[in-house]
This record gives sequence, structure tokens and C-alpha cells, in this order.
Amino acid sequence: MTLLRARNLVKEFDVAGTAGLVKPARRFTAVDHVSFELHAGQTLALVGGSGSGKSTTARLAARLVDVTSGTVHLDGQDITALQGGDLLEVRRQVQMVFQDPFSSLNPRHTVERIVTAPLRYQKRPVPGGVRTVARSLMERVSLNPDHSDRYPAQFSGGQAQRIGIARALAVGPRVLVCDEAVSALDVSVQAQIINLLRGLQAEEGFGCLFIAHDLAVVRQIATNVAVMTGGQVVESGSRDAVFDSPQHEYTRRLLAAVPRIRPEWEAARLRNAGRVREPQ
Amino acid sequence: MTLLQAKGLTVTFGATNVVDGIDFEVRPGGTLGIVGESGSGKSMTSLAIMGLLPSSATRAGSIDFAGTELTKVTERQMRAIRGDRIAMVFQDPLSSLNPYYTVGTQIAEAYRSHRSGVSRKAARAAAIEAMDRVHIKDAGKRVDDYPHQFSGGMRQRVMIAMALSTEPELIIADEPTTALDVTVQAQILDLLAEVRRDTGAALILITHDLAVVSEVADDLIVMRHGRVVETGTAEQIFSDPQAPYTQALLDAVPRIDDSIGDLRPVPGGPA
Repeated sequence: MTLLRARNLVKEFDVAGTAGLVKPARRFTAVDHVSFELHAGQTLALVGGSGSGKSTTARLAARLVDVTSGTVHLDGQDITALQGGDLLEVRRQVQMVFQDPFSSLNPRHTVERIVTAPLRYQKRPVPGGVRTVARSLMERVSLNPDHSDRYPAQFSGGQAQRIGIARALAVGPRVLVCDEAVSALDVSVQAQIINLLRGLQAEEGFGCLFIAHDLAVVRQIATNVAVMTGGQVVESGSRDAVFDSPQHEYTRRLLAAVPRIRPEWEAARLRNAGRVREPQ
Repeated sequence: MTLLQAKGLTVTFGATNVVDGIDFEVRPGGTLGIVGESGSGKSMTSLAIMGLLPSSATRAGSIDFAGTELTKVTERQMRAIRGDRIAMVFQDPLSSLNPYYTVGTQIAEAYRSHRSGVSRKAARAAAIEAMDRVHIKDAGKRVDDYPHQFSGGMRQRVMIAMALSTEPELIIADEPTTALDVTVQAQILDLLAEVRRDTGAALILITHDLAVVSEVADDLIVMRHGRVVETGTAEQIFSDPQAPYTQALLDAVPRIDDSIGDLRPVPGGPA
């Protein structure tokens, strides 16, 4: 059963400053007939360069931005035009984690208030009280629950991103949209957050829409990949199919451009460390 | 034979040493990679060389650049070196370029400020030549364009053209490709390599990206918390890292050609 299905998504924006008194503004097509399917327990990565439309696509699918045309189905229900209470229900099912953990957390709110905010907005009963829920959310993302009365500035970037993930998990979403969620993090912290997301997904079975420009990260976390450029999906498929035998010219160029640690050095290092990685 | 040698270089803010007594050297025409995560002190190291530290910072130790002790020179002498014999390329080309002037004006200004008596016309010709050298097509026309008329990658080419215009002996590039798309990043890295080959300039490449540094650097220092945890040739460090931190860092890097089980996070850092 498809969890999230996008069909022919199109998003046009007015180009600023091109509208005259009677002349309509020039239109820019950011997303151009994009379709995809996301299943429960899967991670679909949308990859591409800047301006490829990957973030806008994710925002359309999460109903943060309204489509120009096309449809979004969640569990078979058309959510493309829902409003009010019905849209609130969609918000319960679809949550987001953003790139910059600090600018997406209110600096004046305690962690407890931040991670339980979605429950408050949803006007949902909080079993056992806010404190208990906040503590259990913090434990799930491996933060010290005793720090629930601290403010975002008292945490490191990686910890702040864990808070953002805890907040997204508060309402038990079935779809998690991660927009460059690990891009701003140091490599050592990035590894922890990738492992955390993988672990949580294995436990909770949510589907994940993962937007990233870093293909090496995508290789570690995605089950499926859609490659975007110029607002269109030029190639999609299972992760290993796309990475190991890319069909589209753009995908090949993208993969070839990724800097790599020289394979001979890499092999020597694993030999020297007494660890030999099995060939794929 | 060294072009630049730092000994016991220390940068202090208040009571904190953000760079804590580090040693390194750059060979003429060589490439030194300085790698580290945020807060490792790698950018402060480059600002210390350039004499561009914020006024709240103090610098100690020695930096010998081709026989000149940079910690002892006057600001006036430093201005003659900075931008001329040592040039710098920053991460974000948009914020390093003045939006009100054409790129040609800015390259020419940088050039003329170090070449007294050069006419505007000659400086403009030098700017066009520098833009040509970094493969900006139609340099003769684009010299009159403003920064916003260039893409991110093209702006970084402009910055490199500006750095090159005075034929520096050393170029310091601080995260020069971090803000760029991966295909553009590859082009800029190729360009930097080509520039080094053609002009014989040495390069200090500061980056958090181990894969980038492995493609570019001859020598490497790995920094953490203001200290050098490991130093050696790139080949030594990548194929046989000695410091536990370097080993952990290399384990934590996601690999594009390989999907492994859990990545191994670096122990001891912030979570």
C-alpha cells in the first residue's frame, strides 16, 4: 500500500518584479510534473543540485506549499486541497525536520515546550502530562531527559537536530520529511544523526522523504532515489540501481563529480587497520 | 626549503586558545590541506597568517613567510603582502564581492592596489586576462558585469581570478567549494589544481571535507580543538592514520561507492 503518492506535481512561482499593471508576471516553473510513490518503512531520497526543485517538491508533498496542479494522496486519500481541520489531520501524519536546527527551534522556548508543541497545536490529549511525554521523546533521540528545561542555545548543533527530530516524532507521524537534515552538521555528528534516523525508522516504520544534495549521505540512508534537475525527475529507482548503474546522463555527471577518497588509500587504510571490507 | 613555516602558532580569545601552539609548513608550489570539524581552529589559523584576526584575538608564535616574520611586520608592510604575495579565496563569493561594482572593476582595483603606476587601462587588461585564465567565457564582455549576473561557481572563478591577478606565491582557500553544487565543486577544484600547475603558487586548502582534501592536497594537518592531532603526507594520513581521532573521522565519512552498516561516530565529541 502506497503511503504517499504524488502525481504530476507542478509548482509555478511569479518572478518578482516582472508584473506590470495589466501584464501578468512571468512564471517560473520550479517543479515540473513530478510523480513519486513512498511506501511505509522506505526512505526516498530526492537529490539534485541547487535550484533543481527538490525542496519545493517535498514541501508540496507535505502540503506546506499549495500545488499549481497535480495531486498528493496520503493513504489513498486525496489531500491536495484539504483545509482547516482536515489539513490538521494531515499535519499529524506528515512531519518535517529542517536543515538548520537552531533557526527551526524557538530560542525562547524550553526543549520540553518545543518537542510537545505539535501535540498542543493538534489539541491532543497528552497522556501522563507534558513532562513525561517530553522525557520519553528525548530518550528516543538519545538526549538526556533531565535537560528538558534547557533552551536550544544550550545544545550543540547535533543535539539541536535531535530536538528537531524529537519534535517531529511527537505526533507519531507516518511520513517524515527531512529537508537537508544532516547537511549543516560536522561529519562525526552527521554519522550519529544518520544512525539515529535509521534506527527510529526501523522501530517506527515511518516513510521518509529525504532531501539532500550530498550523494554519499544518500547512499547511506536511502532505499530509493529520485534524481532531479530543472524541476523534473530525470531518473528514479532503487538506491543501488541508481548508484551502480545510472541511466541518465545527468545522474552520471552528478555521481562522477562527487569527490572520493582515493580507493587505493582507502584499501590500504582498511588493510593497515586489520579490517578488510568485503567487496560488494 | 619552505615557503611558509608556522611554529607554536597560537590564537587566543580571552582565556581560550582557539589555536593552540601549532606547527606546520608549506613547500613552494605544494598544497597543504588543513582539515578539521567546526571549532577546530582551522579558519582562525588562516586568518592568523593573513593578519586578519578580529581585534579581540591575540596572536603568538611565529609565521615565517619566505624569510619575513609575519608576526613582526607592521600593518603597512602586511598590506603589501596580503592580496599580493599571499592571496585568499573565501567560502562565500557573493559576500566577498561588492554588489555595486562590476567584477572587472574589483579585480582591477585589487591589482592596482599592489602595482603602483599601473594605468586603469592596463589593470582592466590584467583583469580580463585573469578572467580568461579561470575560463570565464567572453571575459572581454563579462568584465563589465556585476556579481549578481554570475552564478555561484562563476563568482568563485572571479574570486580566484582576483587572487591570481597579482601572481601570488601562496593562495589560501578557506572552504572554497563548500557553498557550491557538487558538479561545480569539481570544476573549481580542477581549476585550483590547474592554477597551481601553471603559476607554481602554493596552496593552503582549508576544509571540513576529507574527500575534497584527498583529491587536492600533498600534505595534511588534521586539527581538533585548536591542536594538530596528526600531520603527514596525504597518502600517509589517508592510508595509515595514526591518531585515534583521524581514524574515527575517516570511519565517519559516508562513502558514495559503498553502503555500510552503521557509520561509526567519532567518540568524545559533542553529541
